[in-house]
Amino acid sequence: MIETKLGEFEEVILLLVGILGEGAYAFRIAEEFKSQTGRTISIGATHSTLDRLETKGFLKSAMGASTAERGGRRKRIFAITALGKRVLKESRDFKVSLWEQYPAFAKFSPSPI
Amino acid sequence: MTRFLRNDLAEEVLGDLDERFYATVKEKSAVRAKLNYWYETINYLRPFALRKSRHTYLNNYEMIETYFKIGWRAMLRQKMYSFIKIGGFALGIAACLLISLFIADELQYDRHYTDANRIYRLVGASNQNGEIHKSIHFPAPMAAALKEDYPEVEMTGRYNNSELFGAGNKEVRPGTQTDNSYDQGFTYFDQELIDILQLPFVYGNPQRALSAPRSMVITKRKADKYFPNENPIGKTLIVDNDETNPYVISGVIEDFKSTSHFQFDFLITTSGLEFWKDEQKDWGASNYPIYLKLTDGVDPIAFQKKATKGILDKYVLPMLIKDGMSMESAQEALANAYLELQPLTAVHLYSTGIQDGLAHGDIKLVWLFGGISIFILLIAAINFINLSTAKSANRAKEVGLRKVVGSNRGSLVTQFLTESILFSLFSFVLGVCLAWLLLTYFNDLSGKQLSLPWNTWWMFPVLTVTAIVIGVLAGLYPSFYLSSFKPIQVLKGQLAKGSKGASLRSSLVIFQFTTSIVLIVGTVIIYQQMNYVLNKKIGFDKEQVLLIEGAGTLNNQVTSFKNELKNLPQVKTISVSDYLPITGTKRNGNSFWHEGKVQTEKAVIAQKWKVDGDYIKTMGMKVMEGRDFNDAMLTDSASAIVNQAMVREMGGEDLIGKRISNGGETFTVIGVVQDFHFESMRNRIEPMCLVLGNSPSIISVKTSSSDMASLIESVSTIWKKFAPHQPVRFAFLDERYAAMYADVQRMGKIFTTFAILAIVVACLGLFALSAFMIEQRSKEIGIRLVLGASLPNVFRLLVSNFMVLVVVSIVLATPIAWYLMKKWLEDFTYRTEISWQVFALAGVIAMAIALFTISYQSIKAALANPVNSLKSE
Repeated sequence: MIETKLGEFEEVILLLVGILGEGAYAFRIAEEFKSQTGRTISIGATHSTLDRLETKGFLKSAMGASTAERGGRRKRIFAITALGKRVLKESRDFKVSLWEQYPAFAKFSPSPI
Repeated sequence: MTRFLRNDLAEEVLGDLDERFYATVKEKSAVRAKLNYWYETINYLRPFALRKSRHTYLNNYEMIETYFKIGWRAMLRQKMYSFIKIGGFALGIAACLLISLFIADELQYDRHYTDANRIYRLVGASNQNGEIHKSIHFPAPMAAALKEDYPEVEMTGRYNNSELFGAGNKEVRPGTQTDNSYDQGFTYFDQELIDILQLPFVYGNPQRALSAPRSMVITKRKADKYFPNENPIGKTLIVDNDETNPYVISGVIEDFKSTSHFQFDFLITTSGLEFWKDEQKDWGASNYPIYLKLTDGVDPIAFQKKATKGILDKYVLPMLIKDGMSMESAQEALANAYLELQPLTAVHLYSTGIQDGLAHGDIKLVWLFGGISIFILLIAAINFINLSTAKSANRAKEVGLRKVVGSNRGSLVTQFLTESILFSLFSFVLGVCLAWLLLTYFNDLSGKQLSLPWNTWWMFPVLTVTAIVIGVLAGLYPSFYLSSFKPIQVLKGQLAKGSKGASLRSSLVIFQFTTSIVLIVGTVIIYQQMNYVLNKKIGFDKEQVLLIEGAGTLNNQVTSFKNELKNLPQVKTISVSDYLPITGTKRNGNSFWHEGKVQTEKAVIAQKWKVDGDYIKTMGMKVMEGRDFNDAMLTDSASAIVNQAMVREMGGEDLIGKRISNGGETFTVIGVVQDFHFESMRNRIEPMCLVLGNSPSIISVKTSSSDMASLIESVSTIWKKFAPHQPVRFAFLDERYAAMYADVQRMGKIFTTFAILAIVVACLGLFALSAFMIEQRSKEIGIRLVLGASLPNVFRLLVSNFMVLVVVSIVLATPIAWYLMKKWLEDFTYRTEISWQVFALAGVIAMAIALFTISYQSIKAALANPVNSLKSE
């Protein structure tokens, strides 16, 4: 059992990284967050979270391509590690089991992985 | 952003921000994009993104040790400059230290009394034509009235130290002895005043010490003098040879501290005492200073308004009307009068302008001294800065090398600050020693008994901390300056030696000399005023007048004594009167009107001096109109001679033959005497009149000879015949007169001391600077010498640089000094003029001193062998 728990924001960011796949860098993630939730967040906040997740071992990063828009600067691409995947799965299982116990939501069944 | 961002994150973050920027530009506007950029930037101020501060202080302790070592060696290498730096600083510190002691002492007056913040002295003020007159003398029943009528007043107490009432200086002896001693510090004192001040008692009961009539409380030092090694309670003291009315000692108090404005030694009770019938109920005479203790929480300002209205309406108005004034004129007379409460702690320093007959300090002096000491310290600090930056070229290589090896700016600054702290500590030690040595001289100068507080726990820590703080402050500029050298330039040898900071150095030298010149001008003008005051035509002749004091004990033998003295060959005239034109003799204030006009006219306040027929002759005064007193004319007992000021005040028309009334008496004016100064020249000459009367305590003897010693001997012999048990007391009128201006004399001495100090420090600096400048130009001088320049040429060349600075200082100092001196002289109604010669004199002195200082170095340089400076290239 892994001790560290994921905060809600961290979990969302982690999932977004998984969703974006190749293009997962701080700016892109922030944009995606905005389009998904409708809330704007600052790049600093996401970067800070990404950094924290990396320290915990859920993400790994590497420097990627540079573009003209960035003034020729490269970007840092994040990817989920195996540990990160496991943590996500555990979190989802736990939440789903809780929801099933909750009478009002008992109709929903877990979706296949 | 790059300032705080971690280097490794810089690239990606900036890239992301750029992307966002362009995206926002597309979606919204450029303005929004810019704003957003700022927002995002600020949002990056998160812990993970910040640069970690460089941990350069890990090996700090060892480094500081090396700094001290290197600093010490640097100091030894340049002994002369180090000595001048430290010496100058030490002088400044010694001056500051002594002056802080002085200021601390002055500010502490009267603070040691219990509840001092609730104790006030009553001051009566009246606004007459814009001039505010303040006095502290009030009617006898007023103190009790204040206490009864106002719950805000917890206690009131009075004293009376007026010589007119028998206080002041008296002959005294214990009841068991026959020989008198002449002693001072007698005053009448209320028991209530003892309660207010909570005076500490050695013997006796504080609550009841002065409640019985004819009781007296004396200080410990007087108890030791008259009743050594015994408890004097119950013993008697006989004052003024009055054996029928001895005083009984009912208490002994600790001596009044030197930091208190109360300086009495014999407190005589007021209980059961009235100086004339119903004197204690009389609202018409004002002779008692009053002190109040207010209850907690009372606002003194509000109270003084309330009390003014209350007291004036309830007591003073009815008294004036009873005396014969009409309601309107009484009200008019009181309209501009009001009461003020002066806090006890403010009495010592803020009492200028209040005639209370006590010696006071002046808050202005405190400010003045504080300012001067800071200036001197500044001058010393400037020397320090100047010399450090001037010699910086020598350290340049070291700095360059350190930077190359990897030292950062911060470490270098620390290094030089450490050196300057080292200097500062040395200077402090030296300064404290100097202060200790000079303490006696300073006590003499300031009239105090100061001592360095060795025993307080805070003295050494405070001194050390101050030394470090000042070391840091003085060392800041040189440290930053020295650590700013670029290594490449320095190691290549391209740094133009000593040229940097030259203008700053010059301006600092100008500051030093300006201050010195202002002080010189101040000194000269103070001495000029002193001379003026001592030599001005004062309206009477103070030379060669011997004063015999304490003649009151002769009682009715005075006339026979006087006649015997007249037989002495050297004696020209003799006069018996306690009223003399020097401070410290009797004064009074009386109201005068033209006869019959008491109701209709405003009173003229004038002195009424009781003199004898020989007074004007003895004093050498001049009768301008009318005639002098004539002993033969019996009517002269109701005659008065007025001074010119009185004539002016009473309407200006001819008063001779007219009658004036005062109180119950009326006088016929028989003459007008020329105005003479009877108070310090700070005040204008007030109206006064002379009447014949008996006031026998002082005999003035005008003598034709200058052999005072033999005169004194003859007089003493005659005196012993009349009063064998009493030592005879002499004084000289001209000495007493000069003593009136003792404070001016003291100012003069102080200014001289400070001027000398400032100049010494400034010259030290100039000396060192000039040595340095000349050393810089040694090659140039060598070449000039080789090419045939003569000694005068080179000398002139070297000196002219500095003389320009001195001239600029003179120009700057003149208006400042003129303004300051003008303000000081305004205090004196009679004063000297400030002439341009003073400034010229000060300028010449400054130039001469500067020249002298620079000459030594210049001549040495001009005489040098050019080979020495040119051979190493």
